[in-house]
Amino acid sequence: MKRIMIAVALVVAAAVIFIVGRGLAAEPLRVSSAGTRYAVTVVSDEPTTGRVSVEVLVTSGDPDDVAVSAVMPGMGHSTPELTARKAAPGRFVAEGELFPMTGAWEVSIRLDGSAGEEVLVVNALITG
Amino acid sequence: MIRRLLCLVVVLVLLCAAPAAAHNVSAGADLRIAQTIAGMEVTVVVKGTTRVPGPLRIGVIAFEPVTGPPVELAVRSVEDGRTVTGVARPVLRDPQYTELRVERTGPHELTLRAGNEVAVVPFRVLVERGTGAELLIYGGFFVAGLLLVGGLLTGAVARPGRAMAVSGGAAVGVTVAVMAIVFEPMLPAGPPDGAAPVVTSQAGGRPFVQGRVETVPARPAVGQEFTVRVDLVDGSTGRPVDDLAIHHEALAHVVVTSEDGRFFRHLHPLRTAAGRLEVRLRADRPGAYRTHVELEREDSGGQLLTGRFRIDGEVDMGSPEGGAEPAGAAFGAGDAEPAAPPRMRPAAPVAGRPATVELDATGPVRPWLGMSGHLIVRSQDGDFLGHVHEMGSGGPRLRFTFSFPEPGRYLAWAQYALADRIVTVPFTVDVSETVQ
Repeated sequence: MKRIMIAVALVVAAAVIFIVGRGLAAEPLRVSSAGTRYAVTVVSDEPTTGRVSVEVLVTSGDPDDVAVSAVMPGMGHSTPELTARKAAPGRFVAEGELFPMTGAWEVSIRLDGSAGEEVLVVNALITG
Repeated sequence: MIRRLLCLVVVLVLLCAAPAAAHNVSAGADLRIAQTIAGMEVTVVVKGTTRVPGPLRIGVIAFEPVTGPPVELAVRSVEDGRTVTGVARPVLRDPQYTELRVERTGPHELTLRAGNEVAVVPFRVLVERGTGAELLIYGGFFVAGLLLVGGLLTGAVARPGRAMAVSGGAAVGVTVAVMAIVFEPMLPAGPPDGAAPVVTSQAGGRPFVQGRVETVPARPAVGQEFTVRVDLVDGSTGRPVDDLAIHHEALAHVVVTSEDGRFFRHLHPLRTAAGRLEVRLRADRPGAYRTHVELEREDSGGQLLTGRFRIDGEVDMGSPEGGAEPAGAAFGAGDAEPAAPPRMRPAAPVAGRPATVELDATGPVRPWLGMSGHLIVRSQDGDFLGHVHEMGSGGPRLRFTFSFPEPGRYLAWAQYALADRIVTVPFTVDVSETVQ
């Protein structure tokens, strides 16, 4: 009887964690955006306040320079641009402070190359 | 205990609240957006889909007999760049929907092309995910059904103990399913697939929009086509404002009036770039003009932007709006009806008190911009602009109630849509001082 009670309690706990977790989970960021000149996938394993590393994988186009900045439209905050270094062909990494606080942010990726300049914007929810 | 449970439910609801409905297209929530394109006043309707990949149906409703070109459509996923195209012909009645296929949820762009004008409308395709309770309900009933049959079979071969155990399992299945049915409405649904991330705990709203309203060219001539351009900048970040909500079925309502009120246009500009709205028109009278732009930023509320410009040249006597017209006659969009003049109640409106304008439509009225009628009110100097909605019985009698803020003369234009045209009824209202 005791084992059954424990099993039931575990099932209930799992259900609650599932439901609550869906709303809270600080998932890794992986989002794509395609413009007319370039297309990128933005990846950050731990999108968080403080120091953060953002990878820009260029899936279309050949930019020379990539810079990342962020805006929180709800509060009217914006952050300085982080210049991304070219880690490999088509792979740029920007490191630094991008999100001063938790909330819904818009991440702007400015790409510049022989095809011209384009800014692609993706959304990120920063929870911690 | 109950209080704790209630608290948990409240917290869950707050955490998982649905995102603000801005340019979202989901099943049952169509996107309707008025556009003034290639000289036509149309409403573009994007019908939601219940699944992806799935159909996205787009129709274009016209409000006057269509003489313009068909509207070319292109829907592009901003995430993967995949684009599908089609053509929609604006029609007066129920639109013929053009079916385009969307492969995924999330941000998209709808490009409209007609004549030599192009508009790009950003929107999101959303698909509801549900709470996951369906699985419990159907699973519970499925298990119960299986075990009931098993219980009956076990009972039939005379093993009462096992039959009881199996039937007990069936009861558990039924209980789980029923519990899920009962409690499912209380459980918050996750945000739909494709929704932008939002937080609900934020106080206040988005910062103000700094707008610049100008014409291209800066000094248009009589009869020359020109563009009213609105550039929108976020007052806090300095970046283009590209998060306009659909406000009364449009990104913005542009009202262009000559200072004397003899010229009036109510137009719906096209988004030509991030933070830029444009609409083309011609004016047939020289002189000073005012532009009023009514728009609403997502999570920020409505705002009114204003601009001034001048039209150079001589009065175009050949146009329906040119020449000397008797006072109170059909100045306006050139489609004024020979209807009875509007009635005021009270007959002499008093500043600061509700006054009602009543007029009889000249035919069956159909909704336009989500309402059966619109009343634009401008102070004589052009510094004040009001946009009043019809609040009548739904019949041919249109009724608008408005408290004119200050005494003086107001210029007013009542607008409604008939089967094949938009009617504009211009009139003036003299408002007296508050009676002590």
